[in-house]
Amino acid sequence: MANLQVEICGVKFKNPVIAASGTFGFGREYNLLYDISVLGGISTKGTTVEPRLGNSVPRIAEGSSVILNSVGLQNPGVEHFIKEDLPFLKSKGVVIIANVAGRTLEDYGTICSRLDGLVDMIELNISCPNVHSGGMALGIKPENIFKVTKLSKSALNKTPLIVKLSPNVESIPTNARAAEEGGADCISLINTFTGMVIDIERRKPLLANNTGGVSGAGIKPIAVRMVYEASHAVKIPVIGMGGISSAADAIEFMMAGARAVQVGTANFSDGNAMPKIIGGINGWLDAHNINDINQIVNTLTLN
Amino acid sequence: MKDLSVTVKSNKKIAENIYMITFTLPEGAGAMHGGQFVNLSTGNGANLLRRPLGVCMVEGDDVSVCYQVKGGGTKYLSTVEPGRKLQALLPCGNWFDVDDYEHIVVIGGGVGIFPLIATIREHYRTKSFYSYIGFRNIDAVCLYNELAKSKKLTITTDDGSYGERGNVVSAYLKDAANVPADVIIACGPPVMLKVLKQKLEEEKIKVPCFVSLEERMGCGMGACLVCVCKTSDGGNARVCRDGPVFNINEVQL
Ligand SMILES: Cc1cc2nc3c(=O)[nH]c(=O)nc-3n(C[C@H](O)[C@H](O)[C@H](O)COP(=O)(O)OP(=O)(O)OC[C@H]3O[C@@H](n4cnc5c(N)ncnc54)[C@H](O)[C@@H]3O)c2cc1C
Ligand SMILES: Cc1cc2nc3c(=O)[nH]c(=O)nc-3n(C[C@H](O)[C@H](O)[C@H](O)COP(=O)(O)O)c2cc1C
Ligand code: FES
Repeated sequence: MANLQVEICGVKFKNPVIAASGTFGFGREYNLLYDISVLGGISTKGTTVEPRLGNSVPRIAEGSSVILNSVGLQNPGVEHFIKEDLPFLKSKGVVIIANVAGRTLEDYGTICSRLDGLVDMIELNISCPNVHSGGMALGIKPENIFKVTKLSKSALNKTPLIVKLSPNVESIPTNARAAEEGGADCISLINTFTGMVIDIERRKPLLANNTGGVSGAGIKPIAVRMVYEASHAVKIPVIGMGGISSAADAIEFMMAGARAVQVGTANFSDGNAMPKIIGGINGWLDAHNINDINQIVNTLTLN
Repeated sequence: MKDLSVTVKSNKKIAENIYMITFTLPEGAGAMHGGQFVNLSTGNGANLLRRPLGVCMVEGDDVSVCYQVKGGGTKYLSTVEPGRKLQALLPCGNWFDVDDYEHIVVIGGGVGIFPLIATIREHYRTKSFYSYIGFRNIDAVCLYNELAKSKKLTITTDDGSYGERGNVVSAYLKDAANVPADVIIACGPPVMLKVLKQKLEEEKIKVPCFVSLEERMGCGMGACLVCVCKTSDGGNARVCRDGPVFNINEVQL
């Protein structure tokens, strides 16, 4: 049994496997399948200042080895989260990462100061449309990433800040550095790629929202490359994700430089995916006589 | 609810484009009721989403669901051979709770008949079912012996090639005055449910009515919020967890 514990920004995780935002709700449902306290952490459904109803259905579609979603940030609002979901998550002893989003730049400041000190980490979702950038996501242009990071960071005294990068951008290293310069304590990536699926009989996009975020096994090689780029561009720790469905996948991301990983879409194909990945990482380390997961982080040598 | 690797026991065509797949659970999954569904992998690793399919029959550790081949996933599923392993989340969602009722009107169309069959099988010994079942045509007719467990069975087809010609909602309305009904349970295409709701209002039929809805799913257990339907008060409900069975007055159709 190897040591699986990792520490990121002073926060201790039992193991490096974290539920990815939006695929795991606030943990209650998966807790009916297995005791979610076995997880390293949970990134909550993207939470906003006010409750939101989200987009019309269909909100989900499929491509080969990928899925697309356009939930549109349906969530019960930050006050409901604090009152109803936070006590449950706290009782589970997992690292609680509040994934937050906003319609305006100011929303990010508001929600960060409300959650400061209440959760273990805050993860900024900057891939959603924002008024500040004319409906475009804040996470595309480095100057906007810098601005939203700086503003959020100034609202936080106690809780470390993760900035979650979008892959729909010109340069991952540039954007990673923009987050670091804005004061981010950690970076996570990748959020979903923007995609479209067409119903050829109706000659219309299948998703009601026309486009959706592409995730799942098929995006993994691109995600690994981006995680590699980000972790070599900044000094702050990086959490990697994008298409992880097995222990081997998780290990790839860690070798590329990630200190921990998040698992999203794989939970849909197998509700027990995360406990299986945790067990598999342990098995792989044992089989390779490695007694500490931290020893594999950033151990890649290029050809 | 459990997420299990199940073994395919049989996978057979039972009507034009309709298959019944039976799989064996490695361990008990608890009681299952009509209306509840299984979120089942297609067997093709490139399909990351599982397909929600209504529980149709349960015998010991064997569970059967019936599916229509529609898109790529169900097409692949129809080629899966006995012995193969599939990943199944089950049982999902709520069910047609008929415990408090004696006389039950069943209105089903297309693939909506399969969950209704589970309810009939579960209760036909102690309750009376009056079933109105619609098929596209004679080639789609299946599981007649199960449907015939109803006290009264009316079958309709769109083209009149079997049973009465027409739709099931009209067939029921024609009979409504003569059929004792404590509750109506319905499952079928969205237009069928919409017409049913409209007609029940128009004809001032006050019998409680429960309908099972369909929506595209991700997690199948209430966590991802992709499968919502609109409730009458303008909010959202999760079809996979708050449903799939809803009181017809509580959802917008
Ligand atoms: C609670 C519930 C119970 C159901 N029970 C049955 C049943 O007993 N028998 C049966 O034949 N069908 C049933 N359906 C519908 C069935 O899930 C779809 O026909 C099936 O998922 C289509 O998959 P595909 O691979 O053929 O289509 P594809 O187009 O390849 O599917 C792509 C994606 O869309 C989803 N999807 C497409 N159509 C539907 C639909 N109508 N409803 C939900 N998801 C859809 C698929 O699940 C998949 O995620 C049920 C649906 C729900 C929600
Ligand atoms: C249904 C669904 C909802 C999501 N919601 C959010 C969200 O609210 N906030 C966020 O930052 N990312 C969200 N994501 C993105 C995931 O957290 C993750 O970044 C992405 O899916 C890639 O990982 P995966 O391939 O393991 O799923 C969502 C993804 C899915 C599939
Ligand atoms: S399918 Fe995930 S909430 Fe219904």
